[in-house]
Amino acid sequence: MQDNENKSHENDNDEHHLPANGDNGTESHDHDHDHDHDHDHDHVHDHDHDHDHDHAHNHEESFISKYIFSLDHKMIGKQFLLYGLIMFFVGGGLALLFRWQLAYPERPVPIIGASQQYIDDGEVVTAADRMWEKIFDSDKEEWLEVNMPSGVIEPAFYNMLFTMHATIMVFFVVVPILVGAFGNFLIPLMIGTRDMAFPVLNMLSFWLAVLAAIIMTAGFFVPGGHAAAGWTGYAPLSADPQWTGVDWGQNLWAISLLIQGFSSLVGSINYITTVINMRAPGMTFFRLPLVIWSLFIVAILLLLAFPVLSSALALLIFDRLAGTTFFSSTAEGGGDPLLWQHLFWFFGHPEVYILILPGMGIASEILPVFSRKPIFGYHSMVYAMITIAFMGWIVWGHHMFQSGMQPGLGTFFMTTTMLIAVPSAIKTFNWLGTLFRGSIRFTTPMLHGIAFVSMFVIGGLSGIYMANTPVDIYIHDTYYIVAHIHYVVFGGSLFAIFGGIIYWFPKMYGRHMNDTLSKIHFWLTFIAFNCTFFPMHILGVGGHMRRISNPMQYEFLQGFQGINIFITMSAFTLGFAQLILLYNFFWSMARGKVAEKNPWNVTTLEWEAPTPVPHGNFAQIPTVYRGPYEYSVPGEESDWIPQAQPEHAPATGGD
Amino acid sequence: MDIWLPENVSTFGQGVDNLFILIYWITLIAFILVTATLIAFLILYRHRPGHKATYIEGSTKLEITWTTATTVIVFGLALLSYPQWNRIKSPTELPPADVVVEVSAKQFNWDMTYPGPDGEFDTEDDLQLENQLHVPVDKIVHIRLTSVDVIHSFFVPNLRLKQDTLPNRFITVWFEATKPGRFEIPCAELCGFQHSGMLGYLTVHSQADYDAWKAERWPPQ
Amino acid sequence: MNPTDIEITESRPLSNAKLAIFILLGAETMLFVGLIGAFLVFRMGSVTWPPISHAEINLPRLVTGINTILLIISGYTMFQALRAIQKDKIKQLRNMLIFTGVLGLLFLGIQGSEWIQLIGKGLTLQSGIYGGIFYVLIGCHALHVFGAVIWLAIVTGKAIRFKYSYTHHTGVETCTIYWIYVVALWPILYILVYLA
Ligand code: HEA
Ligand code: HEA
Ligand code: CUA
Ligand SMILES: [Cu+2]
Repeated sequence: MQDNENKSHENDNDEHHLPANGDNGTESHDHDHDHDHDHDHDHVHDHDHDHDHDHAHNHEESFISKYIFSLDHKMIGKQFLLYGLIMFFVGGGLALLFRWQLAYPERPVPIIGASQQYIDDGEVVTAADRMWEKIFDSDKEEWLEVNMPSGVIEPAFYNMLFTMHATIMVFFVVVPILVGAFGNFLIPLMIGTRDMAFPVLNMLSFWLAVLAAIIMTAGFFVPGGHAAAGWTGYAPLSADPQWTGVDWGQNLWAISLLIQGFSSLVGSINYITTVINMRAPGMTFFRLPLVIWSLFIVAILLLLAFPVLSSALALLIFDRLAGTTFFSSTAEGGGDPLLWQHLFWFFGHPEVYILILPGMGIASEILPVFSRKPIFGYHSMVYAMITIAFMGWIVWGHHMFQSGMQPGLGTFFMTTTMLIAVPSAIKTFNWLGTLFRGSIRFTTPMLHGIAFVSMFVIGGLSGIYMANTPVDIYIHDTYYIVAHIHYVVFGGSLFAIFGGIIYWFPKMYGRHMNDTLSKIHFWLTFIAFNCTFFPMHILGVGGHMRRISNPMQYEFLQGFQGINIFITMSAFTLGFAQLILLYNFFWSMARGKVAEKNPWNVTTLEWEAPTPVPHGNFAQIPTVYRGPYEYSVPGEESDWIPQAQPEHAPATGGD
Repeated sequence: MDIWLPENVSTFGQGVDNLFILIYWITLIAFILVTATLIAFLILYRHRPGHKATYIEGSTKLEITWTTATTVIVFGLALLSYPQWNRIKSPTELPPADVVVEVSAKQFNWDMTYPGPDGEFDTEDDLQLENQLHVPVDKIVHIRLTSVDVIHSFFVPNLRLKQDTLPNRFITVWFEATKPGRFEIPCAELCGFQHSGMLGYLTVHSQADYDAWKAERWPPQ
Repeated sequence: MNPTDIEITESRPLSNAKLAIFILLGAETMLFVGLIGAFLVFRMGSVTWPPISHAEINLPRLVTGINTILLIISGYTMFQALRAIQKDKIKQLRNMLIFTGVLGLLFLGIQGSEWIQLIGKGLTLQSGIYGGIFYVLIGCHALHVFGAVIWLAIVTGKAIRFKYSYTHHTGVETCTIYWIYVVALWPILYILVYLA
């Protein structure tokens, strides 16, 4: 391993060189042509076609090293974004499939399902009927015939669907986008450095994630089907194939998550080192933008939480493949099924804060910019996030109130859980304070930011019901929980993601997203989201269990079928709205309005860098003179002062 | 929201419902407060030409106010919940039983074992019924829960009672039904491909009916 | 490179590589917290330990105790290796590294032969949670020692080729940190699994 101090000296006179790439010497030759940067950017706006291509030529980089095995933090960030978006459509597609089953149990899924006529008397009516006839005629057991005979979702398949829906959404969509994409893209730019501390590790992190996603998807096609024990994989159901008939699906699930764990580990080591060691001069910790704070805290959470899941997964794999009995108490000398739950939730609760904290960070960037005001209570915002992160470690038992854990422990976990409402309240009220006496511009990122705040509050408040042990007896494992999940992760994280994408798109791709389409997407999503998930509270209060494929089997739920149909219709609308986003995303990448360097008039450093951001980010590393939210400072003619702008009186400049 | 909750037929159910309604009001007020303020700010401080934002960095006084206010509210709520929780789930506060039934969950049925007239399990006169739980009204019933394979969850919405069942472990829960009737016992924990549809029935009898049911099952020799 | 760039990288108390190793150790610790947690859950949940079914199993406390001492000595020699390069004594560095590596291999060898004996006595991965958690927990640590030995071999190779100097020895430093972590972890496991 090379000593990086040494490296810096070597490169002393190379103007645009990347600093301190810790351990890789292979990096250097990529940047031999770095001097071209400035010329490149003078004329870059003249070109109508993709800027990135100009770059590729100027650097004489091959397509592969530029777009595939890129070491550049911005490209890796964009790769993560694309990856997350693709997986979002996979995960969402699975949700739409099982939503159909919930609204119309035992009815064939439209388009791929057989017609009623065909099911009743075998008379072929549609093209799908012909397909089914062929499948039923063949001797082989085809995939579709096993999982969806005639297009009807089998109960076992239903379990796979929601298991993979949640696994994909949590591990392959929200974390990769929030942490992988925004973390990679923003951290070096916003702290004012040229790249991550370990670019090779950074690339490794991405490709490990891809490998994990491939393995996870492959699980659908192995004999026995995919994991079907819920995203929480409760043992002993998950620990022994005899209970589910799922054989390699569950193994692949565990292996894929282990790999994803490595990916997160490598990524978080990189993030933490970068934030601690590579901040621009003058960028003290309390001048960091809140989104960087949130990503820094989340990197620590990921670092510490994922190994716990890995240990649990390792034990699970031993149980499944090596004949141990850690999680099954029925075997002789057997273990304890609750152990899995303890390990899973000891990881799992910090994990859900991993899902929300970067969202909070993004909202804390967007709200001040479009209110033209400093964030209200910067320091308490930071301390609140730290408190949330720490307290996240001592509340895991609130998922296990009814599990047979000692009731005394339930009391403890209820108290700690409820106390987490306090830092969350601080954050909520500070966001409101940020709007107070501002000058609010309703841009699309801002709409998403506002939606984030209000939806997170609904999701957080429903958490209070569940944190309350007696009430949880009744609503545990009902749709009340499902409503909570989606209000916090969709209403919270995803709105923040959408807002963040639109907000940073000009910096990422040098173009604006189409605003009309963005606005349509926002309103459709906002309305359809609430129509989809708000009624789930009502189902939950009615006692509607989660993870059931056919509510009509229960007398006391039959009255709710109308609501279930309504939810499904709204979910399809919600899915449709996401197609608009997808279209807009790709269309704008090529055709959007060309963006200027700092279109929103923002103070933070990422907007100091030229657009599109070249290798090494900054011609000269900026020096930071002030905090990140200096908007509408009294006595200034401009309503924003960039972090890197020196004081008027040079004598007081610097730190 | 009363209308959405299914009818409550247990002695402790009202306590649960009351807490639910209390939290409902607390969260409703918090929500209205936040949302109304949000909307008001959005309207009042929308961007208009000539208006400039006011530079405000924060307010320690306000921070302290809302921090203490939420702390007090959630702590108060927690304090109110302790006795309810202990009453329902604490093994030390278990009231003495009038009737004991052993319920063993298996993929995908509830096996209900009645001890018979001698009141002892594992004897000749034990009676096993699949998915049928019969109990008298106004009597304290103990259910000894266990499972033979994976984790299931014994859920009786109308009793506001839910408890996971663990393989090879016995967990005793109790209830006292206040009204005769027939109620569903779904399984609330994912337990395999027929988790959906794993369903038992609780029949609460009046004392006379219960005696008659018993007499029919264990005819006096 | 800009003057400011140098300022950034030079003003930090820990180099990137060293910092990264400390961060990695945080993750390693949590991995062992998970496994030790599992061990404690089994331990507390069982009336007797070892459980009755394994009452006749005696873990080789004495041999493992001696092994523990060997490992602790290797931690000391590793530290001496670092001290040597800090004083620019290349030859001593080399000797100390080799000495450390031999001790590490010895530790693994003794562990391995113990395992073979235990398996012969009927304590296997499949023989209930007692055997299962024993092999997983101790094995996880052994794997870490193994990894550390490989890393050490690489560092030793570089030392032999005179790649390190008084001013440039981050590689030795990071390896030392890792080695000492792995050594320090062992007594905890020894006490928990063998003695307590
Ligand atoms: C982003 C993810 C996220 C976030 C941020 C949260 C936040 C919270 N969660 Fe949630 N939770 C999940 C994701 C998340 N959760 C998921 C995925 C599950 C299901 C897992 C599964 O089983 O599959 C779950 C399940 C879950 C349970 C288990 C329920 C059960 O299975 O029975 C509980 C119980 O306590 C709980 C509680 C809370 C609480 C108290 C918060 C708090 O942090 C919320 C705090 C916020 C507020 C309270 C709002 C703002 C405050 C104010 C406006 C002030 C006024 C408030 C008061 C006076 C109270 N959550
Ligand atoms: C980040 C997390 C995340 C996100 C974004 C979502 C998004 C959605 N979720 Fe998910 N969900 C979870 C996390 C998430 N969910 C978790 C953790 C669980 C618990 C699982 C468990 O119990 O183990 C769960 C469980 C869960 C359930 C309960 C299942 C059950 O218990 O039986 C339901 C039911 O409706 C549901 C629905 C939806 C819907 C409709 C969306 C929608 O928002 C999705 C919208 C997006 C799309 C639909 C995009 C796809 C679009 C296309 C493919 C184009 C085609 C579309 C048309 C032509 C219309 N989810
Ligand atoms: Cu039994 Cu679900
Ligand atoms: Cu939680």
